[in-house]
Amino acid sequence: MTREIVIEPVTRIEGHAKITIQLDDDGQVADAHFHVTQFRGFERICQGRPVHELPSLMARICGICPVSHLIASAKACDEILAVEPPPTAVDLRRIMNLAQVVQSHALSFFHLSSPDLLFGFDADAGGRHLFGVLGANPQLARDGVGLRRFGQQVIESLGGKRIHPAWVVPGGVDAPLAAETRDEILAALPEARAATERALAWYKTAVQRFAEEAARFGDFPSAFMGLVGPDGTVEHYDGTLRVVGADGAVLAERPDPRPYWEYLGEAVEPWSYLKSAYWKDLGYPGGVYRVGPLARLNVADRLGTPLADAELEEFRGRLGRTPSSSFHYHHARLIEILHCLERLGGVLADPEVLSTRVRSVAGINREEGIGVAEAPRGTLLHHYRVDGDGIVQWANLVIATGHNNLAMNRSVAQVARHYVKADRLTEPMLNRVEAVIRCYDPCLSCSTHAIGQMPLHLQLLAPDGSVLDERRR
Amino acid sequence: MTHAGVLVVGYGSFLRSDDGIGWHAAGLLAADPRLAGTRVLARHQLVPELAADVSRASLVVLVDAAAEGDPGSLSVRRVQPRPPTPATWSHHLDPETLAGLAEALYGLVPPIVLVSVAAGSLAEGDRLSGALERALPQVVEVVADVVTGHHRA
Repeated sequence: MTREIVIEPVTRIEGHAKITIQLDDDGQVADAHFHVTQFRGFERICQGRPVHELPSLMARICGICPVSHLIASAKACDEILAVEPPPTAVDLRRIMNLAQVVQSHALSFFHLSSPDLLFGFDADAGGRHLFGVLGANPQLARDGVGLRRFGQQVIESLGGKRIHPAWVVPGGVDAPLAAETRDEILAALPEARAATERALAWYKTAVQRFAEEAARFGDFPSAFMGLVGPDGTVEHYDGTLRVVGADGAVLAERPDPRPYWEYLGEAVEPWSYLKSAYWKDLGYPGGVYRVGPLARLNVADRLGTPLADAELEEFRGRLGRTPSSSFHYHHARLIEILHCLERLGGVLADPEVLSTRVRSVAGINREEGIGVAEAPRGTLLHHYRVDGDGIVQWANLVIATGHNNLAMNRSVAQVARHYVKADRLTEPMLNRVEAVIRCYDPCLSCSTHAIGQMPLHLQLLAPDGSVLDERRR
Repeated sequence: MTHAGVLVVGYGSFLRSDDGIGWHAAGLLAADPRLAGTRVLARHQLVPELAADVSRASLVVLVDAAAEGDPGSLSVRRVQPRPPTPATWSHHLDPETLAGLAEALYGLVPPIVLVSVAAGSLAEGDRLSGALERALPQVVEVVADVVTGHHRA
C-alpha cells in the first residue's frame, strides 16, 4: 500500500502551491511532486490586444519581477517593429533590469530565506520570519530592507513607479535619464555595496552549520543554462545562451537564443499548471537543467566586475567549478547582487547614459517577435505573433520557474527521501521540504501568470489516497 | 536618495475606485504650493522598505481609504508604533506596524498621522465615487493643515 504526504500551501514563496509526498508499502518515500495550483493564462488574455500594449500588460503578470517581463516583452516587440533601440535605451533598460535583480534577490535572501539560515531549520516556525531576524540580527534585517529599497527606488526613479512601471516601451524607453537621478543612484551605491558585503561575510560563516542540508537540498548532476556576453561574462540583458553540463563543460551555445523550440521542450503534467521545460537533446524527463543565479554563475567564465569576481573565485574555491547543490542558490544570489551593483556603477559612469535619444519609432514590420533576457530567477522568453495591424494572435511565455520545474521536483523528492521517515509530519521535516523549494525562489505568479502569495499545505497520503496527516499554514 | 522633512504617503489600489483616494490626494498634494519641500509618495501598500523613509522624516502623514463609515467621511488619528509580530507578512504592513518597524530598525519614529476616508465603492475602476470626489478637496485641506501646523510648531 502506498501512501502520500501533501504540503499545501507552501509558505514564503511567491504564489500558490502544494507538495505531495508518496509513501510506499514500507513507509519509505517513493516519490514527491511540487504542484502549482494557480492559473491565470496571460497567453490568452493578450490575444486581440495591440502589440504596443504588451510590455505594460505583460508586466502585470507579477508584482515582484514586472521589470523582467517588461524587458523580455519589449525586446519581442522590438523585433515585430524591426527596430534597434538606441544604445542609450539599451543601457537604461539594462539599469532597470539590474536594479530589479537586486531588489528581487534581496527579497528572496533576506525576507524569505535568511530566517532559516539565521535560526536553523529545526527552530520554531513562529520566529522564522523577517521580524525574527530583526530581533536576532538587526543589521542583517536593515541590510535586507535597505537593498530592496535601493533596487525599488532605482526602478521608480527611472520608470515613475516601483511596481509595473510603463517606461520600457517597444523601440526603447519612454524618457531619458536625468543627471540628478543618475547622481542619486550613484550616491546610494556605496551603502548598497557595503550591505551586500556584510551579508556575504555573514552568510559564509552561517552556511558552515548547514553542511548536511547543502548535501541534500537538490544536490544532483544537471545542466545549467544562462546568458553570457561575448567575453564569457555573465549577462542579464542580451547575449549568447550557454548550457553547461554538471562538469562545467559547454554542452551548447546559441548566439541567437530566440528559436527556443529547436532546443527546449515544454511538457505538461496533469498534476500542475506549471509547464516543465526540458533540454530536447536529453529528452523528457531526463533533460533537466537549472536557471537563475546559481546557473548564471556556473555558465559564465567570470562575472566581469572585480568585487563579484573575487567572491566568485572564493565560491568556486569552496564548492568547485560547477556546484551542483541548489542550496548554493543563496550564496549565488548574494554574489549576483554585488555584481549588479558594480555593473550599475559602470553603466551609469558613461556620460552617454544621459543621451536623449532613447526610442526608435516604427510601425508593424514583422508578424513575429521573440524577446530573451535574464530575470532574477533565470532565463525568460516572450514569443508573440501578430497580424498585419499588430493585433496579437498568439503568445507563449517560457518562464524561469518553468525551466526549474523538473529540478524542483527532483529536489523535493531528494529532501523527502532523506528527511521524511514516518507517517507523521514534523515541523523540521516540513520546513526542509519547503526550504528546498525556496532555494529556487520560484515565482508562481510568473510561471502560471497568477496572482497571490504562497501559503503551505502538506498532506501525507496512504497508498490508497487516504490522508494520514496534514498541515496548513 | 535620502530625504528629511515631512513625508506624505497616499496608499491603496488605484484600480479599486475609492481605494485609490490616497493616490488622488497624493497627486494634488504634490502640486500644492503649501506643501513645497514635502516629499509626497503614492504607494499600493505599506511595505517594510518605507521604514527608512519614515524614520528619516520629521512628520509622516498617511492617506488611506477606510472600509467602514459614511462614504466620504474623514477621520484623523495619531498612529502609535506597534512591535512587529510573527503574523506580519513582509508584503504589507498596517500603519502601526510600519511605525514599529521604523523604530525597531532605525531607532527613530516621528509623529505619524493617518487620514482615513470612508470608501463608498471598492469596485474595479480608476475613478472615485461621487462621495469621495466631493471629499477629495477636504482631504487635501486636512493634510495641508497638518503639515503647515507642523511647520509652525
